[in-house]
Amino acid sequence: MSQIWLVPAFPLLGFLLNGFFGKFFGKRFVTIIAPAAVGFAFLQSLVLFFEMRAADGHRLVETLYTWMATGSFQVDVAFQVDQLSGLYLLIITGVGFLIHVYSIGYMGAEAGYYRYFAFLNLFIFFMLVLVLGDSFLLMFVGWEGVGLCSYLLIGYYFEKHSAAEACKKAFLFNRVGDFGVLSAVMLIFVTFGTLNFNIVNAEAATQLESGGILVTVITLFLFLGATGKSAQIPLYVWLPDAMEGPTPVSALIHAATMVTAGLYMVARLSHLFVLAPFTMNMIAVIGAATALLAASIALTQTDIKRVLAYSTVSQLGYMFLALGVGAFTAGIFHVMTHAFFKALLFLGSGSVIHAMHHEQDMLRMGALRKKLPVTYLTMLMGTLAIAGIPFFSGFFSKDEILWKAFSSPLGGGGFWLIAFVTAGMTSFYMFRLIYLTFHGESRVDSHTAEHLHESPAVMTVPLVILAVLSVFGGFFGVPHVLNFLPNGMELYFKGFFAQVPETTPGSAAAEIGLMVASVLLAVIAWSLAHRYYSTSLDAVTALRNRLQTTYRLSLNKWYVDELYNAVIVQPGKLFSTFVLWKLIDQNIIDRLVLLPGNVARGVGSGLRLAQNGVLQSYALIFSLGAMLILGFVLL
Amino acid sequence: MAFVTTTDLIPLIPELILLGAAFVVLLLDLFAPGSQRTTLAVTTIVGFVIALVAEIQLLDSGATGFYGTIVADGFSILFESLYLVIGILTVLLSLHYLDDHGIGFGEYYVLLITAVVGMMFMTSSLELLVIFIGLEIMSISSYILVGIRRRVPESNEAALKYLLLGAFSTGFLLYGISLLYGATGSIRIPEIVVALQEPGALNNPLAIIGVALIIIAMGFKVAVVPFHMWTPDVYSGAPTPVTAFLSAAAKAAGFAMFVRVLLTGIPLEAELWKDLFWAIAVLTMTVGNVMALMQNSVKRMLAYSSVAHAGYIMVAVVVGTPAALSSVIFYSCAYAVMGTGAFGILTVRHFGKTPDSYDDLAGYARYKPCLAFLMSVFMLSLIGLPLTGGFIGKLQIFQAALEEGWVWLTVIGLLNSALSVYYYLRVVVCLYMREGSVPDGAVLEVAESPGFALTGLVGAASVVVYLGVFPQTLLELAASSVSTLF
Amino acid sequence: MIVFFYLFALISLILALGVLVFKNPIHSALSLVGTFFCLAAIYVMLNAEFVAVIQVLVYAGAIMVLFLFVLMLLSTKDNDQYALKLNVSRGLAVAITGVLMIQVLTAFMDPTLRFGEPGAYPVERIQEIGSIALIGQLLFTEFVLPFEVISILLLVAVIGAVIIAKRRVP
Repeated sequence: MSQIWLVPAFPLLGFLLNGFFGKFFGKRFVTIIAPAAVGFAFLQSLVLFFEMRAADGHRLVETLYTWMATGSFQVDVAFQVDQLSGLYLLIITGVGFLIHVYSIGYMGAEAGYYRYFAFLNLFIFFMLVLVLGDSFLLMFVGWEGVGLCSYLLIGYYFEKHSAAEACKKAFLFNRVGDFGVLSAVMLIFVTFGTLNFNIVNAEAATQLESGGILVTVITLFLFLGATGKSAQIPLYVWLPDAMEGPTPVSALIHAATMVTAGLYMVARLSHLFVLAPFTMNMIAVIGAATALLAASIALTQTDIKRVLAYSTVSQLGYMFLALGVGAFTAGIFHVMTHAFFKALLFLGSGSVIHAMHHEQDMLRMGALRKKLPVTYLTMLMGTLAIAGIPFFSGFFSKDEILWKAFSSPLGGGGFWLIAFVTAGMTSFYMFRLIYLTFHGESRVDSHTAEHLHESPAVMTVPLVILAVLSVFGGFFGVPHVLNFLPNGMELYFKGFFAQVPETTPGSAAAEIGLMVASVLLAVIAWSLAHRYYSTSLDAVTALRNRLQTTYRLSLNKWYVDELYNAVIVQPGKLFSTFVLWKLIDQNIIDRLVLLPGNVARGVGSGLRLAQNGVLQSYALIFSLGAMLILGFVLL
Repeated sequence: MAFVTTTDLIPLIPELILLGAAFVVLLLDLFAPGSQRTTLAVTTIVGFVIALVAEIQLLDSGATGFYGTIVADGFSILFESLYLVIGILTVLLSLHYLDDHGIGFGEYYVLLITAVVGMMFMTSSLELLVIFIGLEIMSISSYILVGIRRRVPESNEAALKYLLLGAFSTGFLLYGISLLYGATGSIRIPEIVVALQEPGALNNPLAIIGVALIIIAMGFKVAVVPFHMWTPDVYSGAPTPVTAFLSAAAKAAGFAMFVRVLLTGIPLEAELWKDLFWAIAVLTMTVGNVMALMQNSVKRMLAYSSVAHAGYIMVAVVVGTPAALSSVIFYSCAYAVMGTGAFGILTVRHFGKTPDSYDDLAGYARYKPCLAFLMSVFMLSLIGLPLTGGFIGKLQIFQAALEEGWVWLTVIGLLNSALSVYYYLRVVVCLYMREGSVPDGAVLEVAESPGFALTGLVGAASVVVYLGVFPQTLLELAASSVSTLF
Repeated sequence: MIVFFYLFALISLILALGVLVFKNPIHSALSLVGTFFCLAAIYVMLNAEFVAVIQVLVYAGAIMVLFLFVLMLLSTKDNDQYALKLNVSRGLAVAITGVLMIQVLTAFMDPTLRFGEPGAYPVERIQEIGSIALIGQLLFTEFVLPFEVISILLLVAVIGAVIIAKRRVP
């Protein structure tokens, strides 16, 4: 009665209908088919979710057919719904449905409407295959498929050169990660003789020596793949560029779903990963470093989507930190809450951009809250959630991560400190975004200002729903120490993830203390942002003015600002702009990733000399080869 | 000495049908010169289809003939069916191309048929003499097909290069066969195998040189490094449908012969031969991919990439287990279809010219959306992305290699396949991300693509996807046909 | 007999070298004819009279005459362009083919070299039956398939010739 296959079948059908007939049947047809496909998938997911909860071992498996079988090697096309994929199912189809609905309004005026929705449906299909697959191979199908769709959707505005470049970048960076996944899959096959997740998880402890080289190498390769898909150091730079795509795409793919595929993979193989403490440590370090780096870059960006993009990278770093310290439940919990509030923030920014006629520079916005009340309020909810203000969803998940980073045997004070500082930065740049966009005085040019309008209901209703989820979504996982509700997440995932050895529960007082500290930091950062960005002139304009007319400015008013500029903003900005962004991001990492192509090109020009078109030299090389072969076999 | 009877002809029925079709086409062209070219093409296709039906009828018949030198086993039937399918595809892709380029020879179709007949003899025979003659029938037909655009210098140059180098390699093949005959006293594969399985027989320098020379000549036919030099020139000079045919069917026939002659009996398990194949496989993959990366012409890029794909198949040859051999079959089939498809897109005019460079592919997404989509499918399959035949093929090969512990070979193969993404992707980028400057006087409209070609291309793309989603049918066929070899 | 073998072998080698070095292409062609005759003589000594006759008839008779006709029809005044001049790539070619030859030679010198079973038709048997009768028998029994299949090859060759010779492309 499960019928798992129906879940991916709906979006696939939607893709086929829209892709092949959408052009002929027109817009109305596409408008109905595309969201309906995902909607039905969501309903079926709900059914499956509850069925899975009721099932023995919380797992439903459905084998469709034998995909390929040669000798000892057999792979079935089989879908499974368990705790992890059940949750992901709901996130993907639920948030996906809202974003589809939103897109009707956002993309309404675009040419190639049907193409957009076809790709979007296809993306949902592949994402579902990724999480439903019960083996590496099926996961890899989804893995490559979502990459492809992401690539197609980033390049949606392919007339724009930057969009074409961005999608190329996304694809190439992802291929580096894919190489890691493939290598890992290869090693797993050699080791286990199977590619089934459940068998690998079950046999990991017996087949592999804990902390051994093999398991470390396998997990490192997997993690390399995860860094590509989930935009971590060193492969994160494609994500900010991916913002060239339409905003709902950024919300769906580059915030809520695809970028969490790396986390999904690590969580799925938790029993494998815990056997490799070195890899776990690496994941935590990379996660923490990425969180900090991306947050510090987000501080100075003025493009509204770029702020959110770096914020996403930073939050993903957070989640990896959680996985790295063995707090799988906390990490996946944050995946869920992040999906709510980051999708909300992206869609909200899309609503702003829509109203502003594709203006993305926050320096040309300001005081929009009157004109876009719904957008403003919902985005504020999202911001409160991501900033970790108590009882919004982000608060619970983030504090769970902070606490685990501090208390887990794999964690430590250093991890906590980095995560703590990042949390402060997050609060600061998010409120900066809110203030620059919605408060202060209007910097909108008069022409745009005349046409400012709130988005239609088809866009605002998804915003409201996501806002509700962002506000209340956290109550699924209330930390034990607060204890006014059971920790739903931990109950839900009971016995699913591998346990990190010898967990020492920290003291409740310490947990409360850290929680208060992080809330205080968030509030302080909020007030700082309020102070510098909610007034009529924001710091960046002020800085520009100061350089021109330092003497004409009032000493009293700018004394603090100068200090702030000199001590915090300026070095931070210099550092983040020139060192982090320009140097590391644009030069070193870009070049490293593009290196293989360039090296191959160099070698090729040498080989091309031989390929000179002269018949005699071809015959010569033929004979040379013959001579070498004969020499080889006769010796 | 028993005489030959009509029952000996049973395994040759498909070949005979094709020869009949060839004569019909030849006579139609002679006595009804005014008849539509479509008639010739359709007659050819009908011939291929009937032969295909005959092949299917022969399946499981176990028919043999001519003192056991001709067999209709699973292996030969599978490969022969592949040639027939590629033949049909090629005819579909040729019709508009011949019109566009003023190639009015009805003989074109006859040569296509005879080339297929040659391949079929190569595949179904167990006697080196017949295999050799089959190879020559195929080669000479293709020399002429390559040069059939008589007034185009590149076409002539390509034909001449192919002819001369082909003759050169034929010398190696004949010498190899003679030496093998000297060492074993037979030209029949089963007898050679028996003779070579005697202890120490493979340390006989005569046999070693004989086998090595045959490998060299086969290496030329399937275009592995360093015997690949002709490929780009010939492939780019030949009429594009012929290029598609050569890269798909001729290469598959080469590998079929490779498997039949070298891998099913001659004990090549020794380290020596493994090392040799290993070096060839690595060189072929790497050189093919690196050179493909350098090209500005899509046709040349595809030519080099076909070299690279031969390298992947060589990986399976190195492994040599039955699983690996069946992956040779699967990959040959998958590559044949996707390669034909990719070359096939290049036969259709765009903005009034046959596309050649990457820039020529700009604007497809807008003006030829269907072709752009099909080409993307072929490119994705050539990359080896999941849900395409290319993925399953690569998976089979590398999985077989891993089972035997060829980890480094697999890693090199994977790296190479990662490298290939750069140039295949460039095609997709050009199709979708570039508008393209429209040449003066070009008709700017969503031009209708030639129906025959479109049929063929859609069919090829469907097969590519089918092989990716439901590979089991072909996998089982391949596995069972390999089992008939031993 | 062995003396004759070396004699003919030597002459054929010298003449083959002549094909390469003669400046005048007619001379080259003629020395190729000579090479073929020497080969035919060697065939005779190997009890392969039929092959010897065919060698003379087909190669020396038909093909070489064709060569000569073509050469005379196309004759150019400047014969120097055909002359063999040594440059780097030709030197390389000579070196590589030289090594190839040495490789094959060393293999033949190898003491482990063994020949296969002589088969159903050793020399005595051939002398008894007569090689032409034997070839006739075998061509229509054991080797009837290759014999017939070759006709396809010839057909293809004829079609190729027709295509090249067609005056106008229709």
